[in-house]
Amino acid sequence: MPQRVTKPDNASRVAEFHQAQHHSRRVRWLKVVLPSVAAVMALGFVGYSYVSSPAKGVDVDISSSAVSDGKLVMASPKLEGFTKDNLPYSMKASRALQNLTSTGIIELEDIDAKLPVDDKNVATIGASRGTYDRDKNTLDIPSEIVVTTTDGMVAKLKSAFIDIGKGDLKTTDAVDIALKGTNITADSMIILENGKVLVFEKRVRMQLSPDKVKAGQQADGGTNAAN
Amino acid sequence: AGPALSQDQQQGRLGGLKLSGDQPIQIESDKLEVREADSMAIFSGNVSVVQGPTLLKAGKMTVYYAKDGGGSATTGSANIDRLEVEDKVFVKSETQTATGDKGSFDMKTEILNLTGKEVVLTEGENVLTGCSLTANMKTGLAELGGCGGRVKTLLTPSSQQQSQ
Repeated sequence: MPQRVTKPDNASRVAEFHQAQHHSRRVRWLKVVLPSVAAVMALGFVGYSYVSSPAKGVDVDISSSAVSDGKLVMASPKLEGFTKDNLPYSMKASRALQNLTSTGIIELEDIDAKLPVDDKNVATIGASRGTYDRDKNTLDIPSEIVVTTTDGMVAKLKSAFIDIGKGDLKTTDAVDIALKGTNITADSMIILENGKVLVFEKRVRMQLSPDKVKAGQQADGGTNAAN
Repeated sequence: AGPALSQDQQQGRLGGLKLSGDQPIQIESDKLEVREADSMAIFSGNVSVVQGPTLLKAGKMTVYYAKDGGGSATTGSANIDRLEVEDKVFVKSETQTATGDKGSFDMKTEILNLTGKEVVLTEGENVLTGCSLTANMKTGLAELGGCGGRVKTLLTPSSQQQSQ
């Protein structure tokens, strides 16, 4: 493109910048994005809460059990125990069905689990059904799972395969996670190392609502004063 | 010879790169990896951050959290320390665009830094190129550092009238 160059004087150019920016004087961009991205870290809980495998003894109580068409049916089984960090967890189901021929597989219905994320935050996990494989120590949940935490996060997964032994969770279906004004969706998610690493792939999208953004700014106000 | 700027750096308000607090922000990428132990989150693959008219694009964006910041990253209360973007960084606001190879943003000092073989700052038909752009997001003051002392500037006459 032809370069027509004139002798610019500095003041006019500075003035230009001033005019251009006058209207957006009080606004801050990156500073706003970043605190909200912190919310992304909140996802750590999903794996952490699900897969914090029990360290201490586990007691299971079953209100009644019966055998029907070749399956041992346990009514309202309840599993309780403590995680490595000595935090209580529990897992209930309305029914557990164990096939007498392949006893390693247990079908669970109406799963309701309470798993500690940390001493102040507990994740409640609900799923209509799931298959627990005792030998491989895995839990396969083919239908929707809803996870809510005391600090207000709601995560919806369409399915999940949990390797309890390794502390991994995989889903190749859509996930939708919302926490305090931050929302994340993706078409697949993997949680590794007991929730230490979360990987979202395929159409990852994070949406931050304005009120969340303002909270980020106030939080920053504090740090500014510090330096 | 092209206009040689007396000053090494070109100073100017760069408020255009700020965000308005009352609009939602949308971040998209092909992949997002959150590493709890390393206190970081990595967006990779067509990363785009949009708020109102402001847009940031990059191949990769890494967010670092303060380790000692108390608050656990798990519950999102950890503070962000700094952020780095790389791989064709493109920043656009209503009135300005800036491109570079790499960028970083420090939360405490609120300084955005964009570097590259050629950092180009464009407003309308004004094009400034240099090797590093430093913008203070609090004050909006931006400095475009030259490559070895000289900033190439292209100003077209019409641009003067436009902005008056």
